[in-house]
Amino acid sequence: MTAPLLVAQAISRRFGGILAVNDFSFEIQPGEVMGLIGPNGAGKSTTFNVISGFYKPTTGKLTFLGEDITGLSAAAISRRGLVRTFQHGSLLREMTVHDNILIGALRAVRDNSGREMRVRETAALLGLGGLLHATAGSLPHGLQRMLSIAIAFAARPKLLCLDEPLTGLNSTEAVAALEVIGRIRDEYETTILLVDHNMRVVMRICDRIAVLNYGQKLAEGTPEEIRNNPDVIRAYLGDGE
Amino acid sequence: MRSARAGQIVVALAAAAVLAFAVLGDDEYTQHLLMWTALNAVLAVGLRFMLLVGETNIGTGAFYGMGAYMGAICTTKWGLPFPLALLAGGLLAIVVSTGFGLVTLRTKGPYFMLISFAFTEVVRLIYTRVEWLGGNSGIIGIFPPQALDPWMSVLTFLLCGGLILMMYLCEQSNLGRVFRAIQNNDAVVETVGIDVVQIKLVCLVIASFSVGIAGSLHAHIYNVISPGDFSYLVPVFALAYIKIGGDANVMGAVIGAAILTVLAQMLQGMGSLEHVLFGGAIVASMLVLPDGLLGGGRRLLRLFSRGRA
Amino acid sequence: MGLIAQLLVNMLQIGAVYVLFALGLTLVFGVMKVINFAHGQFFTLAALMIAVTMPEFTERFGFPAWVDYFVCFALALLTVAILGVVLYFVGFERYLRDLIGSFILSVGLLLLLEGVYLWIFTGAPRVVPKLLTGQVSILGGALETQRLVICGIALAATFGLYQLVNRTKLGRALRAVAEDREAAMLQGIRYRRISFYGFMIGSGMAAIAGGLIAPLTAISPSLGNDYLSKAFIIIIIGGLGSIPGAILGGFLIAAVESFAGYFLDSSYATIAMFMLVMVFLLVRPQGILGHAER
Repeated sequence: MTAPLLVAQAISRRFGGILAVNDFSFEIQPGEVMGLIGPNGAGKSTTFNVISGFYKPTTGKLTFLGEDITGLSAAAISRRGLVRTFQHGSLLREMTVHDNILIGALRAVRDNSGREMRVRETAALLGLGGLLHATAGSLPHGLQRMLSIAIAFAARPKLLCLDEPLTGLNSTEAVAALEVIGRIRDEYETTILLVDHNMRVVMRICDRIAVLNYGQKLAEGTPEEIRNNPDVIRAYLGDGE
Repeated sequence: MRSARAGQIVVALAAAAVLAFAVLGDDEYTQHLLMWTALNAVLAVGLRFMLLVGETNIGTGAFYGMGAYMGAICTTKWGLPFPLALLAGGLLAIVVSTGFGLVTLRTKGPYFMLISFAFTEVVRLIYTRVEWLGGNSGIIGIFPPQALDPWMSVLTFLLCGGLILMMYLCEQSNLGRVFRAIQNNDAVVETVGIDVVQIKLVCLVIASFSVGIAGSLHAHIYNVISPGDFSYLVPVFALAYIKIGGDANVMGAVIGAAILTVLAQMLQGMGSLEHVLFGGAIVASMLVLPDGLLGGGRRLLRLFSRGRA
Repeated sequence: MGLIAQLLVNMLQIGAVYVLFALGLTLVFGVMKVINFAHGQFFTLAALMIAVTMPEFTERFGFPAWVDYFVCFALALLTVAILGVVLYFVGFERYLRDLIGSFILSVGLLLLLEGVYLWIFTGAPRVVPKLLTGQVSILGGALETQRLVICGIALAATFGLYQLVNRTKLGRALRAVAEDREAAMLQGIRYRRISFYGFMIGSGMAAIAGGLIAPLTAISPSLGNDYLSKAFIIIIIGGLGSIPGAILGGFLIAAVESFAGYFLDSSYATIAMFMLVMVFLLVRPQGILGHAER
């Protein structure tokens, strides 16, 4: 077995009196798609913000590619190959699709012709090839979602963290998005961490899943194991779905 | 394509200068009016430069003042050659804006606006308290070399045009794209590995350098400076130029500067009416023409062409 | 001992005026997300109105000075309220939650109003007649009675506004909107109406501060400008939109100014305060009591 890509050791994050994430440990192996699920307010977003450097963990340690990245800035973590998207689709609304993706590639590729190639390749992969000169804010919702992934993926991260990439997509769009995520993993050997509400989707695409509840890890395992875990069923699958 | 557009701008500026000198003649008053316009245009473009990253930098007034005081000291106290006095104004602005930016750029939006406001006012207060800088009455007798006299307006035009062109080219480059990206959504820029504070610092330093050089020029054109010349009203007027002309591109700022500089000269000596008309122009433009004259003109054109189609 | 008491009363009185001024500014920001650079113009107008109308009143009716003062104060508040309504509906309503747009508009208003004041009232400094003569001795120091009375009124006004914001239904709505506009609107709070109330109360605070400062200083059309820069420093220290922050910041700057200002020039106090702000920023970019932007 190879060394894990990302190791989170007992990370916690406190806001005032509230412990949003409590003593959460997990590892991500190279090449896998890991899912992070849990009810609303379970601490998924906070976990995302902590590993991507937007919040400093109150306690705990983060190791990426064998290097301690605890407390580094978001930009510094990103330059090491851990890039995220945001829950509500994160775009440069007033700029063109081309310039959006270019911003993603700017730090990762050093010469202009290489950047142009990177932009075109990424846009084609995410189904934005014909829309390079459209303004990002004018795209339909589904394509805006794709564009926010394109910005992150233009940096060709080693670990791509997707925060609810499928929320608000209709079923056709969701299928297309899943296919793209699969290609990003297979063709570009990108490891993926994914947060989503849609259990069916997560179960289908993830190799391994961690379940958060009230800021703590409830369970971890293959989709099969998670599906049959009584704690998970009680805490999460029981209500709704 | 990009360099072609830059070329167009150079040609346009040169043509405007030639035209201005040809039409308006070379009497002293007109030449001064042109020089003031050029200085104000640099201020407007410099302020707009930081608006590109979404920050309102009222510190522009402080850096302009520093350039002016540094230039004045170089010429009157140290007897340095004129080009060095100009450069020193820009360099001082670089040094101070770097320090100022390192401390303050972690804040943004309203905080940065207020802090940069306080900075400009405090720096002005400091001038009034330092005897060596002439206290409340400032510094007098700041003259460029006599041999330059006939060339001063051309020199000012070229230098200011150069500074504006530099900022324009930055805006058109990838750096400018990052500026606008930060204005759109700084978190996204951060996630792709670009250090937002660092980029904002670069933006601040470039703008301050330009404004610092313009400040030193200001000292040598007006020959007299005093603390009151460098209050928060400097960036406020610059903002008015941008608003009146339109903030969509550099030319709007330049046109706005030209219009309001001439207007201000016409109102000079009218006392309170000057304030009323200037303030009134800003308020009216915000209420009637939120995109400025250029934007308004464009809207009018669009309406017109739609009517014909 | 006498000196200390004098400085202390001085600090409370200046501080209360600063607090009122800054509270208004911070309240307007909290609710409208607008920094009103023309805030000082309300302050100036109130002071100018009192300075102009009070001598007229005294001459005509011959009441005691303090009666005239209160009548003219009321008149000044009314004038400011009318100006506030006009500015809100003609201008600010269009630039709610637009930081740069409202900045330009309010700066335009700052210039316009200052020019209009200069035109109407001329630039000559005016002095309001003394409300009360006589001195009181506290802790061995002699203090002007009117200073003490004004200090009392200012503190009472500050306390009253604090209660208004903390205890009343309107206050709760104002705070709810300042904290999270969308959540407040979901609870049925009508944002536009609340933002109008917030603007009027905030501007009213500036007017009260102006009315209180009127008997203590020479009044000119640019009076508000000095207060504006100080209020900005207060707000940066206290945190934008924070009411306890504005109160703490106001008294802090007043303390530095009255104690340091007694021995040094008061502009050194302002410079010192700015240095303090820079140090604060290095440690806590969100102000002493402010919340981090997320």
